Amino acid sequence: MGTGIVVTSGKGGVGKTTSSANIGTALALLGKSVCLVDADIGLRNLDVIMGLENRIIYDIVDVANGECRLEQALIRDKRFEQLMFLPASQTKDKTALTPEGVRTIVSDLKQQYDFVIIDCPAGIEHGFKVAIAGANQAIVVTTPETAAVRDADRVIGLLQAADLKSPKLIINRIRPNLVREGDMLDIDEIVQVLAIDLLGVVPDDEAIIRNANKGEPTVMRPDTKAAIAYRNIARRILGDSVPLMPLGEQSGLWSRFRKRLAGKG
Amino acid sequence: MEKPTIHQARLSAKPPVTVKGTRQGLLFLLDETCPFDVLESGLRDVLQGGTSSLFSGPSTPVFVDYGTRDLTVDESRTLFDIFLGQNNFIIREWAPRTTARASLFSNTPSPVINVPEQSFFKGTIRAGQVLHFEGDVVVLGDVNPGGSIVATGDIYIFGKLRGIAHAGFEGDVQAVIAAVEFAPMQLRIADYVGFAPEQDGKPMQSPLEFAYVKDGALAVDKMQFLAAYLQFRAQLTQEDAR
Repeated sequence: MGTGIVVTSGKGGVGKTTSSANIGTALALLGKSVCLVDADIGLRNLDVIMGLENRIIYDIVDVANGECRLEQALIRDKRFEQLMFLPASQTKDKTALTPEGVRTIVSDLKQQYDFVIIDCPAGIEHGFKVAIAGANQAIVVTTPETAAVRDADRVIGLLQAADLKSPKLIINRIRPNLVREGDMLDIDEIVQVLAIDLLGVVPDDEAIIRNANKGEPTVMRPDTKAAIAYRNIARRILGDSVPLMPLGEQSGLWSRFRKRLAGKG
Repeated sequence: MEKPTIHQARLSAKPPVTVKGTRQGLLFLLDETCPFDVLESGLRDVLQGGTSSLFSGPSTPVFVDYGTRDLTVDESRTLFDIFLGQNNFIIREWAPRTTARASLFSNTPSPVINVPEQSFFKGTIRAGQVLHFEGDVVVLGDVNPGGSIVATGDIYIFGKLRGIAHAGFEGDVQAVIAAVEFAPMQLRIADYVGFAPEQDGKPMQSPLEFAYVKDGALAVDKMQFLAAYLQFRAQLTQEDAR
């Protein structure tokens, strides 16, 4: 029996889809069987980031409506044998799915795969409720902005009300030099407000944009900081204790010490 | 001057008469089970014997509680006469179950002041959540920005207050809001609304403070004055009750 993990955020554009794609791929890299589910009906783009756009025949709405079998809609990734993808529908809207329908699909998938990663749409309405229906764990993605943190807080409240008691946090797109200068919320501050476990911190990286446009998840290339961050996140999901990597060249222990001195003095 | 206390009632050889000083006056608890003559002599002992000097002095309201004992008319008259023999006693109550006794054993200081409901909330109040409580509430956790807590009484937060707190929701202007870390987005007490002074566009954060209404406006003070304010408020409430 696998684990269903929903990736959500409340606010749009913080990197839910990127995180879903990269975490899924990283877990596959570590030898796990993974199924990525795009629950963002009508605005699908996980397929684009995965580079699987041209292979879609059936989608999750077809499966829910019984127009095809689940196996027919699943797309095997071009890089990994054990990575599967269930696309969202482009033409229908979010009301085409019900929480019960998704719960059935996800529990079927959980029988076959170690991890089912569900990419949740932005917002907290019907689409959100549908996406979290089948999950038994949640990952909340936020960026170091007040608005994103506020929305993440709201979403954590809703997740907890929906019995996803201990969601994990990913802080995405952190820019070490802005944090250092005090122009960006720092990690401690965000973790303090949200009061949930930190799963990882992903630095802002141009490679993410470049690779997303190429249809290749960034984790495939371990030469970027973001890729390493996502690989670490995947290892933490598997239960390894991986320390947070230092961000930026000057943010080692020494500079943190210096910063603290400056902050106190 | 030492008054006989309730401890006497707990001794194994229970005296037939227990006297308890209360806020309103003296409460006489007469034993319910002992024979009547024991009770009568016990009462005479207390009032006219060695301890009689304790009961002389200025006029004192007296409450007599004879419990579940079935008194005949004669017995009743005998006891009553003993009490009437004390010139400074004003007999306020003479009953099987006096309110003075009830208030003594329910530990409420006086029957007029009713203790409001009190609740505990354990956990974080997150953005978008609004929690409503009757009476006072103690929060063991944070109130995050965008979250709100509403209570008809006081609000005490063992954590960070960064959202909205509304105390005295039904118009109690004497309600207070206290927090270990005080950086509220907005404060409301009864109909008064205010917000913390801002620092770099964020609510100013200060440790251990509480808010209350003073001279028609919200005021914030250090936590060490909270006890004093609560005492002052209790006095006001008592005066109102009288």
